[in-house]
Order: sequence, then structure tokens, then C-alpha cells
Amino acid sequence: MRRTLIIARRVVRQLLREHRLLGLSVIAPLAIVYLLKLFFDTMPATFSTARYAVPVAAFLVHFLSFLLCAIVLVQERTAGTLERMFINGFRRAEIIGGYLLGYLGLATLQAAVALTEVVLLFGLDYGVGTLAVLFVVVWLLAVASVMLGIFISTFARSEGQVFPFIPLVTVPSVFLSGLLLDTALLPTWADWLGRLLPLRYANTVIQEIIRPGGTIGEVWPNLAVLLGYIAVLWALASRTLSEVE
Amino acid sequence: MDAIKVSGLTKQYGDIQALQGVDLTVPKDAVYGLLGPNGAGKSTLIKALVGSLCPSGGDVSVLGLNPLRQRAALRERIGYMPQGLALYQDLSARENVQFFGAAHSVPDLAGRVEEALEFTDLRARADDPVRTFSGGMQRRVSLACAIVHQPDVLFLDEPTAAVDPGLRARFWSTFRRLAQKGTTLFVSTHLMDEALLCDEVAVLRQGQVITADAPARILERGQTHLLVRQDGRIEERVVGGHPEDLADALHVYGLSREIGAVEVRGDTLETVILGLIEEAKR
Repeated sequence: MRRTLIIARRVVRQLLREHRLLGLSVIAPLAIVYLLKLFFDTMPATFSTARYAVPVAAFLVHFLSFLLCAIVLVQERTAGTLERMFINGFRRAEIIGGYLLGYLGLATLQAAVALTEVVLLFGLDYGVGTLAVLFVVVWLLAVASVMLGIFISTFARSEGQVFPFIPLVTVPSVFLSGLLLDTALLPTWADWLGRLLPLRYANTVIQEIIRPGGTIGEVWPNLAVLLGYIAVLWALASRTLSEVE
Repeated sequence: MDAIKVSGLTKQYGDIQALQGVDLTVPKDAVYGLLGPNGAGKSTLIKALVGSLCPSGGDVSVLGLNPLRQRAALRERIGYMPQGLALYQDLSARENVQFFGAAHSVPDLAGRVEEALEFTDLRARADDPVRTFSGGMQRRVSLACAIVHQPDVLFLDEPTAAVDPGLRARFWSTFRRLAQKGTTLFVSTHLMDEALLCDEVAVLRQGQVITADAPARILERGQTHLLVRQDGRIEERVVGGHPEDLADALHVYGLSREIGAVEVRGDTLETVILGLIEEAKR
């Protein structure tokens, strides 16, 4: 645990000095949510913006968190610092855990900013309890996305090898997680494929909680699945991160 | 006990045989040089010794430990300076050294960080980001990261490549000071003249050790060119590299008045090693 915290502290220190990256992480969701508002304003009055507003914000957080983290370990590998970490005695699970902890702050910031903007911009009238649950689910999704990014990056030897994974993970999320259409309408295999994506579980909770009369009671296992998802990916990434050539 | 023992080490990458049965023994507290042209397999061999590469065959032991099976125990006792810089450019020199030092369970880490910075002459700019440093200074930070935990064996992969002659001399005097403090150094280089600065060297070519000996003994394998001016003409004779060979050759001439000048040109260590590499090609 001591070494995990040492890595996390170093990652945070580096992130705080990456002003451009930090700025982009906050400004990008803001700008995209605003464009979304412009797009929704063109829809007929019968169109339910609430059905899409928070889930799309969740998708943005998922996409950005995944993207930012997908290349971090690959950068460590190409710079030679990953090999140096191993030879200095850091272990695989400690490195993965350190990165996850280090990026928690950024994930929290993104979740808070995206959710606040979407609520204010679309004039969503949710109670404090609903907002709290929405924050928790978007935050958990962000953490799962960070972990998914780290996991994917363990398969790449260079930054270039990460890029094909980005549409492979994020595009199916749009179609198979219930963001645009009801997952009950999907063929069974596509439905199961969707269950591999963290956005599916986050979206299920969001749709239920924003539904008039909806409660967390029905859907809380999805939050547990997200937690399990993070733990399983941590364990998997700790195995797939290669230490020896 | 020897610090490093390698026998029959092989590494295959697809069709490429990077190491072809390497045998080496490195005594404790020595400065051991691994010489060879680019692509000879020097980095591959070092990676096998520090446990970041799985060999295809053979045995490796560092401080009596297997670098793969006993890597946790070994990594507390070795230091590694890779060929690339392998530093966090946006962190300061002190933060880099602290980070890599903190991986080890060493007492008084803060004191050791300051000691490593002092040793590599980095104290004045220890808090500046590494990206603002010259290439030579960054190499010194990399060295500080490798020695902060005071390892028993230090692996240095081409530490003086692309470094100016002044800094190169400083680096070697630093290596010598480390050896005096009881550290075994394993240094790879493609600069043949650096062999003279080592206690023992191994010359690697295409993944094979073509010779391993003390530099003075390797030098004896060279030739001495004896140029004698006599009666207005210059006669050149090639004799062996051993001092007795030269004495024998001079006997022929005696010290008669007809001899106008005698010039002796010995092969440099670089020439001898390059000759050995050429010989191995044939």
C-alpha cells in the first residue's frame, strides 16, 4: 500500500503541473454539453431532453476519462520509466493501483463539472437526493473508465497501438448501453456485449433515478456491478501489464 | 562469491538470435566493462541481468540470486541506469530521485536523496524540472536515481553515449569512486577506449563474448610497430605487444651509429579490440 500511495502522489503531482491537460479535461465536457443543448433546442417540443441530458453527460465523462488514461501506461513504457519502476521494485498491482488513485481526483472533477453544467443548462429540477445518486453513479463510471483505460493500455507497446481501441470501446457504448435505444430491443448477443461496458450499468441507474417516482432501490445492484467492474479490471490489468520482455 | 555469473545465456527474438551462449563472471567490487558495437546484444544482456527480460536459455545469477525467480530480493540490491533517460521530465531532479528511491525500503531516504544529488553534483539545480536540463545533466539525474538506495551492483547501459569528453571523464571518476565504496559496476559501452578504465572487460559481438580479460592483457594481444631509420631509409618491423617482444626486436640492431632514429608505435586498446571483432567476423 505504501508504494501504491507513492505512485499515486507522483501521478497527482504530474497532473497538477499539466495545466493544459487539466484545462482541456474540464473545458471539453463543458463545450460539448453546450453544443448538445443547441442540438436539443432544435428538437420538437415533445422531445424529452431529460431522457438524454444526464446520460450523454455521463457518456462524455466516460469517454474523456477512458481516453486520458488509455495512453498513460504506454507513455511510461515508451519513456522507459515503467521498466525503471519495475527494476526499482514497484509491483504491477501497485502501479495500477497508484494510477487509479492518482486519477480519482480528475475523475471526480470531471463528474462534478459535467453534471453541474447539464443540470443548470437544461434546467433539470432534481432533488438533492437524486442529484447525490447521479453524482455517485457518474463518479463510479468515471473511475471504471479510468480503470478500463489503464487495462487497455497494458496491451499496447506504443501510443499508436492504443488508438484502435478507442472507437472499439466508446462507439459500442453509445449503441449497446441503452443511451440511445432500449436494450430490450437488441439481439441477445448484442445485449450481452453491452453488459461488458460500464456505461450500460451507469445508464440503467440514471434512467431509473430520473424517472418520476423512480428509486435507487430497484437498481442499486448496478452500482455494485460498477464497483466489481473496477476490482476485476484492476486484477486483470495487474496480470496483463507485462513486466518482462 | 562472484557478483555476477552467466553461463550459456541465449535470447531469441523470432529469427534473430540476440544472445548466443554468453558466459561471464564478474568479481565483486570490480568495474566490469561490456564492450561491443551497436547491436552486439549489450542492452539485451543487461536486461537479462536485471530481470526485465526472460532468457531463452542458460543460467544467470546476480549476487547469488536469480533475476527472475528472486527478483524482489534482488531488486533491493541492484541499481540500473538504462540507455534512455527514463525520467519524469515535468518533475524536478530531487522529485525523480525521491520517487525511485522510495520504492526501496531504505532508512533515512531524505538523507540518501541529498547524498545522491551531492554525489552527482546536482544540488544547485535539484528543484528545477528535468526538462530544463541539458542532456548531460539529465544523465546525471538518471545516475542519481540508480544509486540513491546504495546498491551492491550497479548496471549502467551506455552511460556515456552522446556525452561530451569532459562529462565522460567526470562520469568515470564517479564510477571509480562508487567502486571504491564497494559497489560492483557493470558498464556497457561502444566506446572502445573506455575499456582501459575498467578492471576487466568482455567484448561482445553478435551476441557472443569474443574475449573477456583485463584490459592490459588484451592490449598484449596487439602489435608493436618498430620503425628504424638507418642509412637514410626507414625500416618497419611488426613485433608482438608484450614488452619482451620489443626488447628482442631491438637486439637485432644493437645501438650502432648508423641508426638515426627509433620509433615505437604500439596498437591502442581500441585497435586491438576492433581487430578482435574483425577476426571474429572471419
